[in-house]
This record gives sequence, structure tokens and C-alpha cells, in this order.
Amino acid sequence: MIRLAGKSNMKLLKLDPVVFLVSATILFAILLVSPVCALFVMSLKSSEGIWQHLIDTVLLKYILNTVTLMGGVALLSLMIAIIPAWLISNYYFPFCRTLDWILILPAACPAYLVAYAYTDVLEYAGVVQKLIRYLFDFSSPDQYYFPEVRSIWGAIFVMSFVLYPYIYVLARTAFRAAPASLYETAILYKKSIFVNVGLPLARPAIFAGLALVCMEVVSDFGTVEYFSLETLTLGIFNVWIGMNSITSAAQLSVVTFIFIITLLLVEIKSRAASKYYDTSRGQSSPLAKRIYGKAATAAVLICFLPPLLGFFIPICILISNSLYAFQYEPFTNFFRPFLNTIFVSATCALFVVLLSFLLVSSSKESRSNWINWLVGLSSTGYAFPGTMLAIGVVIAVGYTDQLISYLNSIAGIFPDDFYLGGTYAALLFAYIVRFQAIGFGAVSSGMQKIAPNLLSVSRCLGKSYVGTTRNVTLPLLMPYLLAGGLLVFVDTMKELPMTLLLRPFNFETLATQAYQYAHSELMAEASIPAILIILSGLIPVIFLNNFLRKA
Amino acid sequence: MRLKICTLILLLAGLYTTQLVSASEINIYSHRQPFLIDPFLKAFTEETGIGTNVVYSTKGLAQRLRSEGKNSPADVILTVDIGRLYIYEDLGLLAEIESKVLNTTIPKHLKSANNTWFGLSKRSRIIATSRKRVSAGQIRRIEDLADPRWKGKICSRPGSHVYNRALVASVIAAHGLEKAETWARGVVSNLARRPQGNDRAQVKAIYEGLCDIAIINNYYFGKLKYSEDPAQREWAASMRLTFPNQDTGDRGAHVNISGGGVAKFSKRKPDAIKLLEFLSSPKAQRLYSEINFEYPVNIQVPPSNELRSWGNFREDKISIEKIAQLSIEAQKIIDKVGW
Repeated sequence: MIRLAGKSNMKLLKLDPVVFLVSATILFAILLVSPVCALFVMSLKSSEGIWQHLIDTVLLKYILNTVTLMGGVALLSLMIAIIPAWLISNYYFPFCRTLDWILILPAACPAYLVAYAYTDVLEYAGVVQKLIRYLFDFSSPDQYYFPEVRSIWGAIFVMSFVLYPYIYVLARTAFRAAPASLYETAILYKKSIFVNVGLPLARPAIFAGLALVCMEVVSDFGTVEYFSLETLTLGIFNVWIGMNSITSAAQLSVVTFIFIITLLLVEIKSRAASKYYDTSRGQSSPLAKRIYGKAATAAVLICFLPPLLGFFIPICILISNSLYAFQYEPFTNFFRPFLNTIFVSATCALFVVLLSFLLVSSSKESRSNWINWLVGLSSTGYAFPGTMLAIGVVIAVGYTDQLISYLNSIAGIFPDDFYLGGTYAALLFAYIVRFQAIGFGAVSSGMQKIAPNLLSVSRCLGKSYVGTTRNVTLPLLMPYLLAGGLLVFVDTMKELPMTLLLRPFNFETLATQAYQYAHSELMAEASIPAILIILSGLIPVIFLNNFLRKA
Repeated sequence: MRLKICTLILLLAGLYTTQLVSASEINIYSHRQPFLIDPFLKAFTEETGIGTNVVYSTKGLAQRLRSEGKNSPADVILTVDIGRLYIYEDLGLLAEIESKVLNTTIPKHLKSANNTWFGLSKRSRIIATSRKRVSAGQIRRIEDLADPRWKGKICSRPGSHVYNRALVASVIAAHGLEKAETWARGVVSNLARRPQGNDRAQVKAIYEGLCDIAIINNYYFGKLKYSEDPAQREWAASMRLTFPNQDTGDRGAHVNISGGGVAKFSKRKPDAIKLLEFLSSPKAQRLYSEINFEYPVNIQVPPSNELRSWGNFREDKISIEKIAQLSIEAQKIIDKVGW
């Protein structure tokens, strides 16, 4: 190995930054895995016959609904993410720069709020159907057909149009980074540059995004509860609260978890055979081709449709709902929650990006399988429903506090009544466990594109590992670090179930505020924090987009 | 520059973590929404000088309390239904408390046998019918909902919601498992649409003509009737409210409770008990009906004029603890019949 060249092994073991890197990785990975372990341990107890009952009655229904929902969202969101991403990165047409950042906007909208908004307008009592009845003089639901919003199709629609930016951001970054030489080669051989070059090159990034979308779908509670869809997540809560069995709930969530992980492993295995390195830095990216007329109009429409349905329509509904509440709800009510939200999201994004970089680097450097496994495991928190993961965090933090109080009883290291439970630190830890997958996915898909010989060259030229990291790896990774950070930021802003359960006393975020109002069907009041969530999500979106364009 | 920003953020994080709670205040884990309990807590602080801190979550607070164990800062637990309250009891998280006030004001069937939890307000599960399409007196009992003549006429939220689960438990208590399952199957086969939405949405569906009959909690009627939104007031006007099972000899309408208890490892038990006593006092009991159209549990406090104008009703006096114990069987029936 290059890093050993010219130095004695013994000396290196002490100073080698890679050793330091790996030790830190092991420590953090264990911390991140602990809540997931807590859930596994919890699921080992006896379920007292509940499984037999579930198999006899509802389990098949839960599984079918979950698979349909996930498959549907995966297909639709791939379609509405990849096609615009390809158009934006390879063609030049009117408004394409504006559309580029508009396409990311739905990332700022929580799925359950979009579900509320669409239901409000599309249900039987909503404006659209009222208009239809008025125009055609119908008076009862039997006289015409209108698709039911609160259905699995409605959920697929809502979730796809809100979640596709995960794929879009990563796919576009990958398409942009693709070297022009490969496209030129494809054109020479009369092959499709989309199918033969673009897609294969972007595949790691696309699947990283898709994995996030799938996990988001499986762990979603707000939307499926609102639509009363009997998915595994809803089932977990029926078993937990209805049958007073947290054990069976843990078992059910572990089953869901294994299902997701198997899917991911299949993808990773199938990808393992081929590697995609970007050896073309310094080469120009493909030049955007100018398109005119009908083609340009079509491109504009295709790129505008996803943000229209995932952002503009819902936010218009929310704004029109909130106009009424603005009259009596003083803005100061939302000030403190707003600050809290920005604060938790920013710190979480920062930590996740740092941790992801650490974990990805050491999994690349150590070349050891079990480190890879550990690193992979540490970003699995995302595959659990938020509330269940929060329970895992509660248990892990509870044990830590017992340890603290034990240590205090012998040595008095910490101040009296110093506990992690119920503090901001515990909440931040939970966020990191949950959103690590997002940062990790972004950073590792970036790392996979850095050709190993670039790093080797740097080392041969006498740069240390740290120097190489600073001068070569980090600059190449920066767009991916920022993309990951952005997604974590907006996701933390929207996060609800873990915030509800783990927050300190009297601590409100915009999401908890919106939820409480929406829960009491005070839609007008709920719309104000919802709009604030979306608006404050826009700032990092625009900032990041400017950066990515320059990069 | 970047380093400075990072340090600043870490410093702020430190400030946030040290946001400790004061000793003269009691800490509440609440399943009830802050804006519904805030008026009570304000009145409590005014009267006693004891401050309050709240964490609100719909789920999981019992697990949080459990894993915090002896280190928990929580003093009082508040819930909106017997199901969740019973989970705390079941996990042994509640303290047995001695309080003359609670013992004398709250009737026996609305508190635990060993003085760990207490009902603080009552809500009745009632039948809403369309004023236009169902004439008064056509439905008198909850059992009538399984009658095939109402095929395609009933709207309901999902069976596994706590309120419906408790209702099924009350039917099990009255008729046994087998008959309760037949009844639930009958109700499901009468549904006009897949179970969805909350109780308010069912009244809306009656107003819109999607269905004629729904099962709702009584306070939704009040909230709609006095809503700031004129459309919601119209929904309320379109429905008739029926307390089921009121005939002589019948068991009375099913009621659920909102309630509370004191955390086992609370460090401020006397103050915690004071809060529960305050919530059962006439002043607070009247607030329950003013704010949320709920019935008082305190036997010395009559319901508000508004509540009385909806008609007097007799409640099913079965022990609410029994309802909680039957909820697992109720959920099994709900799963079986696909409600």
C-alpha cells in the first residue's frame, strides 16, 4: 500500500491518521447503531400469540399495501426525477436555470401536510368536486366518478411528488459530473447517451436517492394515518397501542426493517460488479445542447409539472387556508418555534455531514469488510418508523443515564441531576441516528466517483493522507457534502414523531406546532407554521443550488 | 471562519442542553394537546403559585417514562383516553396516591381500584344521524347499527382508533366476544365508505349526503356547532345527536375518560397531587365543558347549560378499567372484521 512507502510500520501505527479515523468510526458507529440494537433486543421477548392473530387476520393486507405503496412511489418518483434531471443537465431551453432550482422545492414540504392540502381540495366536499357538481348539476356521489383522494393511489401521488427531489438532487449532480468524453464516444458509436452513458454513470446516485425514498415511504406515519391506509407502519401502532404490546410492535418494525435492508443489499450486490470512477476532472462537462420550439416547450412542461404538483399547488392551498388565521394569530407565537427549528436543523445537518465524511472515508481507507458493515449498519436508523426509532433512542439514552448516575454514585463526575434524557442533546442524537442515511448516501455516492488513482497520485507526489484529504478528496466531495447537508436540513425541519416524543419540556418546533393544530383540524392555524417550514427550507435550497452550479 | 461558525453552533448547543427545569415547577407528560390544557395550567399556577412544564406527544411517553426510571423528571401524566392511561398502570409507572378530594369527588367506576389513576372528564360516544334522512327514534341503541336496513348508510373512522376500540370493548362487556364480533361485522357491512378521517369528518360526510349515520364523540358536536367556520356550523345543524341505549333497563351510553396520575418516581408528589385535585375541582370541571364540551366527572358539578341542552343521558356504569382490559380482545375483533 502506498501509504506505507518509505516508513516503518511500527511508527505508522501510532501516528497513522487512518488508525485514528477507524477508531473514531467504530466509536461513532456503535453509538449510532445502539438505538437500532435496542429495538432488536426489545423484539426478542415473547409476543404471546399476537403473531398468530396477525397472520390469521391483517398481516397479508399490511404487507400488500406497503409493497404497493413503495413500488408505486418508487416508479413514479424515479420517472418525475430522472427525466427532468437529464433534461436540465444536458439541454439548454427557456427558464431551464429557474426550473433547475424550482424542481428541488417540494423537498421542503412535509408529505402529511401536502396530503391535508390535497384532501381539502379534492375530497367530496372540496372545491373541485363542488365545481363539478355545480357545472354538471349533479347532486350525489353516485352520479359521477371521481378518484378517491384518501386511497393508496392518492398516497402514491402525494408521496412521489414530495419525495422525488431526493433522487433529483443526486441524479442531477451525477449527470453534471459525467465526463463529456464518454458522451462523445457514445455518439460516435451511435449509442443512446442517456441509456448507455448517463444512466449507468448516475446509477449509484440514483439508487442512493431511491433508497431514501423507499425508506421514507415505509417509515411514513402521518400520510398513511390521514388516509387510513393499513400499511405495516399503521399496523405497528395498532399492535402497540391497541394490543398494549410494544414487543410485537418492535417485532413488526424489525420485520419491516429486514425487508428494506434486503432490498438495499440486493441493489448493492448487483452494483458491486461494476465500478464507476470519474477520471475526467479538468475535462469539460458535456455541453448543454440548445433546443427550440416544440421540444423546448415540452421540456419546460415536463420540468414544471413535478414542482407544480409537489410545491406550488399545495402551498397555494395552504396560503389560502392561512389567510383567515393571520387575522387573529399573532406572529410572535411562531417566533420561538421558528428559531428552535432552524437551530436543530442546522446543527443536525452539520453533525451528519461531518459524521458521514468520517464514516465514508474510513470505510474507504480501511478496506476491511467488517468496518464496511458497521458503517452500513450505522445508517439504518432511517428504515424504522420515526416513533419506533424514537423508542430505541429513549431506551439507549435511558441506559446511558443509568450509567451516568452510577458513575456519579462512585465518583461524582457530573453535576447532580445531569441526565441526557429530555435534553436537546438527546433529541439531536435521535435526529442524527435517523438522518445519517441521507448524509451517508450522498457522501458515499460522491466518494465512489473519485478514482482511486487520483488519490494515489497525490500520495506519490508526497502529500500525506491528511493533505490528500484536504486538497483532493474534500474539494471533489464538496458538492455531495452540501447536497447531503441540505437534504438533512430540510428533513430535520419536517421531522415530527421523534421531535414530539424526545423534546425537552416546553420545546416547540414548527412541525410540532403544525401537527398539533392539524390534529385538532384547525387547518387555518396549522397552515402558518407549515408555510414557515416550507419558506425556511427554501433558503438553503437556493443557496445550495447556486453553489452546485458554480462547482 | 468555518471553524468559528462550528464553535458558535456547538456553544449554542451547549446552552440548549443546559436548559434545566426549576425545582418549584411540576413536569407534565401529556397526551392531551397543550392548547387544551394551557387554560387549566394557568388557572392552577394562579391559584397555587406552582409553575408547570409540558411535553406533549400522542405516543411513546410511557416508554420514555419507563426507560428514564428513577431519573425521570416527570411528575404528572395526562391522557385523553383510558387505553393510554392503562398502559402506564400496566407498566407500573404510576404512584398509588392518597387523596381525600379525589376519592370523594370521582365516582368509583371512573378511577383505578388501587388509586393510581383518576378520570378527570367524560366524553360519550354518541350516534349522529342526518336530520333530513333519518327520523328521530329510528336508532335507539348502538346495537341497531348492525341492522342490515342501514346498509351503505354508516360512516366511521377506522375501528382501531382508541375511541372505537373502547366502544367495541364496551359491547364485548355487555354481550360477550361472539356477539360483539357479529355486531362489529354487521356495522362494517353497513359502511358507506372505507373507514377514514376523524369524527368531525364523519359529520361532514352526513352533511354532504355521503352517509346518514355516524358514531362520534359528543364534544365534536359542540365544536362544530360553535366553530368559527360557518361551513362547520352548517354540518352540525345537519345532524341529530342521539345518546344510545337509554331505554329503561338498557345499560346506558358508553363513555370514555380523559384522566391522569402521578409518576411513580416523581420528586414532587404533593404538588403533583395538588394538580390532579385542582383538575377535579368544580372550577376546572366547569372549564372542561366550556373549552371542550366534555362532561364533569365530579359528582358535585352539574354539566354546563349547553351540554344539558343536548339532553340528559344515562351512562354505562361499567368500570372503565374493565374497558381497558378488554381492549386487546376488541382490537382482535376489529382486525378480524376489517373495520
